Amino acid sequence: MEEYLKIEREKEWRVELRTKLKNKERTTIERVQMPGLDPIERIQYQDREVNLGLDEASAITEASRCMDCVNPTCIEGCPVSINIPKFIKNIERGEMHEAAKTLKETSALPAVCGRVCPQEKQCEAQCFYTLKLKKEPVAIGYLERFAADFEQNSGSISVPETAEKNNIKVAAIGSGPASLSFAGDMAKLGYDVTVFEALHEVGGVLKYGIPEFRLPNRVVDVELASLEKMGVKFERNFIVGRTASFDDLKEEGFHAFFVASGAGLPRFMNIPGENFNGILSSNEYLTRVNLMNAAKSEFDTPVLRGKNIAVIGGGNTAMDSVRTAKRLGAERAMIVYRRSREEMPARVEEVLHAEEEGIEFLNLNNPIEYFADENGRVNRMRLQKMELGEPDASGRRRPVVVEGSEYDIPVDVVVVAIGVSPNPLVPSELPELKVSRWGTIEVDPETMQSSIPDLFAGGDIVRGGATVILAMGDGRKAAAGMHQYLQTKQNNLVSEPSAIKNAD
Amino acid sequence: MANLATQFFGLELKSPVIAASCSMTGDLEQIKKLAKAGAGAIVLKSLYEEEIDTQLQEELSQRKALEPDPEYLDYFDYIIKDENLKDYTGLIRQAKQAVEVPIVASVSCISQSDWVLFSKKLEEAGVDALELNLFLLPANLEKSGEANEQFYFNTVKKVLEVVSIPVTIKISHYFSNLAAMIKALSETGIAGISLFNRFYSPDIDIQNEKMISADVLSHASDYLLPLRWTGILSSQTSCPLAATGGIHSAETAIKFLLAGASAVQVASVLYNGGTEAIAGMNQEIATWMDAKGYDKIDDFKGKLAIRDKHVALYERAQFMKYFTQKDF
Repeated sequence: MEEYLKIEREKEWRVELRTKLKNKERTTIERVQMPGLDPIERIQYQDREVNLGLDEASAITEASRCMDCVNPTCIEGCPVSINIPKFIKNIERGEMHEAAKTLKETSALPAVCGRVCPQEKQCEAQCFYTLKLKKEPVAIGYLERFAADFEQNSGSISVPETAEKNNIKVAAIGSGPASLSFAGDMAKLGYDVTVFEALHEVGGVLKYGIPEFRLPNRVVDVELASLEKMGVKFERNFIVGRTASFDDLKEEGFHAFFVASGAGLPRFMNIPGENFNGILSSNEYLTRVNLMNAAKSEFDTPVLRGKNIAVIGGGNTAMDSVRTAKRLGAERAMIVYRRSREEMPARVEEVLHAEEEGIEFLNLNNPIEYFADENGRVNRMRLQKMELGEPDASGRRRPVVVEGSEYDIPVDVVVVAIGVSPNPLVPSELPELKVSRWGTIEVDPETMQSSIPDLFAGGDIVRGGATVILAMGDGRKAAAGMHQYLQTKQNNLVSEPSAIKNAD
Repeated sequence: MANLATQFFGLELKSPVIAASCSMTGDLEQIKKLAKAGAGAIVLKSLYEEEIDTQLQEELSQRKALEPDPEYLDYFDYIIKDENLKDYTGLIRQAKQAVEVPIVASVSCISQSDWVLFSKKLEEAGVDALELNLFLLPANLEKSGEANEQFYFNTVKKVLEVVSIPVTIKISHYFSNLAAMIKALSETGIAGISLFNRFYSPDIDIQNEKMISADVLSHASDYLLPLRWTGILSSQTSCPLAATGGIHSAETAIKFLLAGASAVQVASVLYNGGTEAIAGMNQEIATWMDAKGYDKIDDFKGKLAIRDKHVALYERAQFMKYFTQKDF
């Protein structure tokens, strides 16, 4: 890898580009601002993207801030190891298609990642500007989105090269980011990949979880089309473990499986009154709106609307839910989070956007009970104030109850976004599969191989909860691990009659 | 044979010997054995909020390999508590199905909201009574004794507001005016007070010069402290008292009944002598009662509780002439 990066960096055009501007000049350029829709306007629409993307001139200027470091630490911060300086330098020289191609070398979903990755915690946190200069990092995420969008909008979309087909069938279960990333890498290696999706729509959390104002479905669809062009097949409405068992699929010639069935089981706090009408999980709320068009008048999918909507949690799902609530007409849309803003797991940008849209943040508050009217509809919640104590084992300061601080606020809808449990179907189908106490599949963290040798896993079903990019990283690792496993198996074929060599 | 029936936890008990909250009472098979041995009631192993927090910290510290997303770490805050509550309420349901002896849930929390939440959940699970294992180590230099005492009253009040089953408390002796405190607590509407809870105690290993845990089990002489306070308070409180700590024999149990306790809670003796120890104690108490001509516990309960003639004996604190008469 290091050698490859070095060779790429020493290519003539890169060397020449570095001489065009002195580093001192590069570092004096201010970081670009992402243009966005006006908050007052955007909260009227569920499907209008908030960030508008950079124009070409701003992208080139921003790209010229990158100093094309000898040791590009930014790549270390990227779970899918995008050659960041290479794609940025391509933007700087105006070769946008080359930039997009570079992204696709290791990422199956660049237009998605450019929108939803928490870059501030990953590549941008490792940027030379952040680490050494203590300045704002190069806007890697904005540039990634720019390159991917440029290609999508040009109509000339490159399809990554794939190796000669080896006719070895492999399956990915679930069609979220982990599976799509896995499928992309396996297709590049020549495998015959089928992605099985339980719902009617492919994309997993990218479609049912993330609202269109953050990630338009059309953007996801273009990425899916690229995978299809690479030969990846998608089976919709197919539940592995119900529609067909693992054994059935093995009989159909599948040699290995990548399980990325996600964490779709909503969690509640189990506090008094949580069963009242009007209290629902973020999964249900977002799925109704994102996948089943509940926000659109021409669809009859019902969704709860209210004046005072509280969303419990501080992650991206909570932000997506509360911002959706605002768009559905809530007068008071609130985040109730028991830690402070500093500990919030949500992307910084999502929190900022939420604030711009008038979302109220009741941080250091924890719900302890709900109350309802005579019809059983929630009408009030009791909150308890918290303060931050010593750091816990995760390094974050733990919330401690402020005794006697309880107070009530009126609510008519409550969305609980405190996390989800792993989907139990696959583990329940395979009793020999090693799972943790929490229902996550246990894997080798390097190869993502489970206790069943031909079964690999990644994403939420392994981590319990992961960002899109971490899930994609898992998909890539699993693809490498599975390829290695199948190759080793193939090399030991002589004594194995049901050989991979004889695959149909 | 003498009738051993008594009342505590707001319940009729067939024996004054109660299986105290300990690891043994967290296991269904042991619960069955304790019931068979004739325990008057079984107090389940305490559900500790602090222990739940420790589990959370362990879980968080183990999750390094796959770089957990902080959103998932938040999830543990909720799920670990939830799982613990589910396990505990599951144990209550199983125990209630398996045995007829009263099952008492013991709970120990840090925050008042959890005292309330846990108590409600345990009541819903069908437990017969609650024992609040209340303790605040008065080691905070910033906090007044009054504030510490208020914690006990606030907690009791909050729990009593949300449950309808009998609520008892188990407390320590760390109060500046223990008698007044116990009396005041007895007037809050609770169904009983157990004196005193036993804690983890730190010790020091001088060879390795490090902190270690002191003996977990009680010693037979530990009963003297609760005996004094049972004797002093049993006739003055508005609710019944039970005793716990160092009650290793029927003889000690009888001493407490004479001092005015309605029941005794035993744990260490179960580890030393097995669940059958309860059967042995019941038998010996009955034999003693028969020998003394007592038909029922009330015939002698509190016979040696503080009265005018016992005041000096219970409240005497100095050895005075005792050591001066000893030969060294």
